[in-house]
Amino acid sequence: MSITNLLNNWSFYRKKRPYQGQYDLNRQYSEYKWAMALDLDICTGCNACTTACYAENNLPVVGKERFKHGHVMHWIRIERYWDEKMGEFPEQGASFLPMMCQQCEEAPCETVCPVGATSHTNDGLNSQNYHRCVGSRYCSVNCPYKVRYFNFWNYPSTAWPAPLPDQLNPDVTVRTKGIMEKCTFCVQRLNEAKSRARTEYRLVRDGEVVPACVQACPTSAITFGNIVDPKSKVAMMWKNQQVDLYKDMQEKDNSVRGYRILEDLRPFPSVMYLERVRDMEA
Amino acid sequence: MPNVHPEDFVVPGLSVFYASTCTQCGSACGVMGRVREGRVLKMEGNPESKISGGKICGLGQAAVQVQYNPDRLTQPMMKVGSSLQPVSWDKAMAMLEEKTGPKSGINGDEFAFVTGAMSGHLKVLAQNYLDSLGSKNHFVYEALSPAVGFAANKQVYGVDMPRLRFDKAKLVVSFGSDFLGTGASPVHFAAEYAKFRKAPRGTLIQIEPKMTMTGANADRWIPIIPGTEGVFALGVANQLLKHGDFSKTVSVDIVNLVGKYDPDTVSGITGVSSDLIGHLAGLLWEKSPSLVISGASVEGHVHGVQNASAIQILNRILGNVGKTVDGQAQSPFPQLAPATGSFASLKAMNDGMGAGTYKAVFIYGANPVFTTPSFMGFRDNLRKVPFKVAFVNAIDETAEECDLVLPIYTAVEDFGSHIAWYQPEGVEITMQQPLMEKLYSDTRSMGDIMLDLVKQRRADEYKNWPDFRSYLKTAVVNIKPAVKYTDTDEHFWYDTLSRGVIHVDAPQQQIAESFSTEMLDLPTTINSPDPKFPFYLIPSERHYFRDGRHANCGWLQESPDPLTTVVWDSWAEIHPKTAESMGIKEGDYLEISSQNGTLKVKAYLFPGIHPDAISIPLGQGHESLGRFAKGVGVNPFRILNPVFEKDTGELAMYGTRVSVKKTAESEIVVKDEGPVSTQMGRKLVVTLPADVAQLSKEI
Amino acid sequence: MVNTYEETEVAVEKRFVPKPLDINADIAWAKINKDILRSLERPRPIFWVIFIASFALFLVGVSCEVYQYQTGMGVANLNNPQVWGLYIATFIWWIGMGHSGTLLSALLHIMHADWRKPIYRYSEAMTTFTLLTAALFVMVHLGRIWQFYYVVAYPNERWTWPNFQSPLVWDATAIGTYLTSSLLFLYIGMIPDLAICRDNAIGIRKKLYTFMSLGWMGTDRQWANFRVTYLTLACFLMPLAVSVHSIVSTDFAASQQPGYHITSFPPYFVAGAIYSGLAVIITLFIVLRYTFRFEEYMTMPILEKLAKLTFAAGMVWTYLNLIEYATTWYGNDMYAKQALIYRATGPFAPEWWMMNFLGSVLPFALTFKRVRASIPVMLFMSIFINFGMWLERWMIISPTLAHGIYPWTWDDDQWPSFVQWGIVAGSFGWFNMLFMLYCKIFPSVSMYEVKEMLHERRFFKSTNVATARDSAINPDLAVEGGLAS
Repeated sequence: MSITNLLNNWSFYRKKRPYQGQYDLNRQYSEYKWAMALDLDICTGCNACTTACYAENNLPVVGKERFKHGHVMHWIRIERYWDEKMGEFPEQGASFLPMMCQQCEEAPCETVCPVGATSHTNDGLNSQNYHRCVGSRYCSVNCPYKVRYFNFWNYPSTAWPAPLPDQLNPDVTVRTKGIMEKCTFCVQRLNEAKSRARTEYRLVRDGEVVPACVQACPTSAITFGNIVDPKSKVAMMWKNQQVDLYKDMQEKDNSVRGYRILEDLRPFPSVMYLERVRDMEA
Repeated sequence: MPNVHPEDFVVPGLSVFYASTCTQCGSACGVMGRVREGRVLKMEGNPESKISGGKICGLGQAAVQVQYNPDRLTQPMMKVGSSLQPVSWDKAMAMLEEKTGPKSGINGDEFAFVTGAMSGHLKVLAQNYLDSLGSKNHFVYEALSPAVGFAANKQVYGVDMPRLRFDKAKLVVSFGSDFLGTGASPVHFAAEYAKFRKAPRGTLIQIEPKMTMTGANADRWIPIIPGTEGVFALGVANQLLKHGDFSKTVSVDIVNLVGKYDPDTVSGITGVSSDLIGHLAGLLWEKSPSLVISGASVEGHVHGVQNASAIQILNRILGNVGKTVDGQAQSPFPQLAPATGSFASLKAMNDGMGAGTYKAVFIYGANPVFTTPSFMGFRDNLRKVPFKVAFVNAIDETAEECDLVLPIYTAVEDFGSHIAWYQPEGVEITMQQPLMEKLYSDTRSMGDIMLDLVKQRRADEYKNWPDFRSYLKTAVVNIKPAVKYTDTDEHFWYDTLSRGVIHVDAPQQQIAESFSTEMLDLPTTINSPDPKFPFYLIPSERHYFRDGRHANCGWLQESPDPLTTVVWDSWAEIHPKTAESMGIKEGDYLEISSQNGTLKVKAYLFPGIHPDAISIPLGQGHESLGRFAKGVGVNPFRILNPVFEKDTGELAMYGTRVSVKKTAESEIVVKDEGPVSTQMGRKLVVTLPADVAQLSKEI
Repeated sequence: MVNTYEETEVAVEKRFVPKPLDINADIAWAKINKDILRSLERPRPIFWVIFIASFALFLVGVSCEVYQYQTGMGVANLNNPQVWGLYIATFIWWIGMGHSGTLLSALLHIMHADWRKPIYRYSEAMTTFTLLTAALFVMVHLGRIWQFYYVVAYPNERWTWPNFQSPLVWDATAIGTYLTSSLLFLYIGMIPDLAICRDNAIGIRKKLYTFMSLGWMGTDRQWANFRVTYLTLACFLMPLAVSVHSIVSTDFAASQQPGYHITSFPPYFVAGAIYSGLAVIITLFIVLRYTFRFEEYMTMPILEKLAKLTFAAGMVWTYLNLIEYATTWYGNDMYAKQALIYRATGPFAPEWWMMNFLGSVLPFALTFKRVRASIPVMLFMSIFINFGMWLERWMIISPTLAHGIYPWTWDDDQWPSFVQWGIVAGSFGWFNMLFMLYCKIFPSVSMYEVKEMLHERRFFKSTNVATARDSAINPDLAVEGGLAS
């Protein structure tokens, strides 16, 4: 972004903010906009996604002492909530919530990074440039979901005693101390699929590529895909659940389960959750 | 590792996926290993497998951490004095030959082979070796075995394990069965559960003393006094019979039997309100077909078989048999069928060791020193055996005691074939093949070792097979006619390996028409409190730890327990009400004592547990096994009382009573959860009543 | 070289001896020079003791930072979500203190409040050094301190720029600008005095002062240029000083974090900055007055004025603080309200209540004349007010981060480790070192401006515009100047 470019395209940059009705998905993204739908009714909280993420993305195992100090690096975590109106026993079970980077369209982390290390890609991901990151941790402060994880230690030197480094995924870097990291929607898989598709003169097909968590999930609670493609499952689900990517207050029927977390803060997250269902008569 | 002249199929930068079988638990899920530059990087589900359906759990993914574990045993070890010293394979095999070979003069009765659950051709080979020795002492031992459940099923249905159709059921009532987390086939059942929850959405009711992961997903979770589940079930049956005419499906025996269990009596025994019993009966009547299942917390009692049978009877009464409870396919290869293991067999072996019967003991796939209660004195008895051999990936508590410890291939380096004891559809033989070259040159395949051992006495019969691979190939090719494969043997072999599974169509097992109610005389005084040991101990099974054999995987240690989110530790779950009355806060160290020992463990206040129960998860408290496991947490196996299931002789895991004493020490509980456990008014997880949701309109 | 200590002693003894009146003015001005240059003399041993102690403290900070650099930020006991801890809190505190110096100097210069003259020089120096200290924290808090220059907008062939949307970049720019202009303001205001030093110095100091005084001869043309430049800079600095802390506040106000996301933060921060800055000016006032025996220059009426100003600033701060609570309360935003309740009742409650007490209740003691007139009490007050203001910054950072929007990641247990405390302590050592060196190299009271002030007073006195009673300067000097009668 040179200054000349900025000046010449001022009106474009000025209008780029996605406010309601201002622009639509297809104008913003011509080919890809990755999105997710996560069904909380069938998520069992089993943590298979977390382990898959550790395996795919070279997440360090931090150990008990560091976990105690809040230095854990799980890009996707399973939260367990008890109902607020719970009596003596949790009679309706627990609520499990897998929480990963929501890849917000108006990501609060992006605007505050002093060096522009986190920014939006042209396929709608909120990317994290490890090389550029200076570790101010401002993005973490501003992330409402607190899904950004900072390398408080030099994990490459401690977290993988030999021969564990042989397991590391060569497609993903191992992050050093002092930088921020987070869920990437397994961007290494997406990029591979995109370039493969490009060599075959086509777009990535629905279901051709999924992040590691989606692939592992034993109940298939997570759906992933390209929301620009109206025929993709995830796009149909979003439409069916009456959730609009660029709305902060969804106008939807009561019976419809789709919602996004902390939508009122207007980050426009790319992950739609489907409400947990409970049989109240049981 | 990367070679100067790599194999043709090794293209730098490109991943190759090889099908194999996960051996982390007994489910035998088909998996795919992602291999790059000759290294296996990640385990993923094999979509060809009907068990895994292309999915995988965290435990399965940790197979690569077993492979690259920093504490793997890389060379044979021999006991010199009191410590294990490295030796060469030649020396180790020579010692095996000396102690158990034809010239050793050992007779079959003096030899024992302890293994974990086994199936497939390795089991056949092990059996052949025992035959060659003239020994019948194959002790299949699993600390968390399904033996009691099998006995109950046998009694009610005439089969060990029926096929459970979650997808067809409108209502599932689970008595302590953590089918989503542990047990028969969690990955498969999770997929079935997902189907069950799709429109028309089924309802899940869980009745158990301590909330399991399955309980956490239930629409209604009902705490119950441990051991009274059967009484509760009969109470439900009692109420159910009032809803309609069951004269055709229900025998007079049952009517008479359940007559005794009126709601008030049952409520008094189980601690569940009598309204709830009627309510549950009403639901079962309303939502048909339903499915009633029982699990570990039902079976782990003196009357475990009866307890489980009483619950299974509900399926009979409701007419679920044939609808949601079905026969599994009858495997046409009985010799390959899984030996699921039991505690009773180990007990017999332990007694034998104590009596000095055995001169040589081989141990493979089991860690009895760790998983047996202290009252058995297994360690001391094992020391009495003159020659002990362990076949391991890493030195565990049992291997520490052995004279010879042989490092074997991990599951991702070895060949094998497996048949799971829960088969969703047909019979699936899952094939295991090496996903990479062996990591350490001084390790060997268990199959190769077994073959060598067999050859000690039957060299002629086995001379055609230089290694286990060739043996397996011959054996697998023999299956070809059963699957009506028409191409060459060679094609079949490679086709099988690349697909990872062999599906064999087989007729369903027949579920018995009738069953006897003779044994169904449940004690009514199970809950009489013992003033010295007022609490029920629940040694709960963690979904990624099970009996603790993979506790040395960092991923598993750091994977938070789904309900408490505690990591890297053991903890005691105690109900907040009980804790309050005893002045216990989270992190206080508790001394939990049974007649057989005391554990000191941090308290975690957990609402999902019966106020009279204390739960400590299994799998931690290793004294060996490696850096990630050693010294982490406590081992509740140690303090279990000698209480046995009366019909099967299994250890009654839930039969131990404990006392709880607060100590002055306190420490932060290391967990993922923050200081609050609710959503604090935020709209994070929203719950929609099932009658409002319109799942059928969803995509 | 300036006078020896003994000579000065004698001079002080002789101070009250009546002198012939006609050349009095010149003598008194020379005495001003002597008095102030005296502070540049060879220090007493106690100076070295304190200096070495400060240096040791600084080394503690440096070793903590080296340890943190080597090992990672984890040693500081920072975590997710408490990612900033004491570093950013102390950063705001130091940068806030820096406000009063220049602001006081520039504002009062423009307003022609002449009582600023004896105290503005050290205040400006204090500003410069607090900014340098604050800048350290910006670096220290970075995960990759070795790449801090990424934050700076420097031209490079890859066209990579910092993210101008980020308040941190505004911050870096604002602090950089403020530091540069403050340094310039301090230096330019010092030129005539440096010339005096030059005229009195020998050896290496002579070379230094000669170089730094830029050939100041005191000609009319130089004075005219000097005045224009100085006034221009003062006008420039005024809004800048306000903007810096406003911008620092946008680090928080522009974020989504409940407890940060408050519109009143800019004035609140500026008020807090001026408040703590005034307090530290009082502290240094008392210390310098005592150390260098500046009683004739740093007089009680000035302290009185400073105390009143501090009280005023304290009340503005209190008002804005209460406004923050009140708007949070009746704004009824769940997140912000919970965060507020958490601050008042959570694990940080003792610190929070202490901060409110020290910041809002303690200054009421300043309404009593006896308090304002008592130097020990004022020293105590100023230090505790500043401690309260440090707590305020900490209470903005830590409890808020610990208790954000997302309940799962709330964190009650994290307490700063010795590394954080060590670096905070080291920053005091660093500041002390710089300030002590400054006091021994440069005149900490402006000589020419005090003379100017004296001259003006004499002029006004002779024309009966002002009375000696109102004079902030020690009436003794005026008497000595021969215009008391």
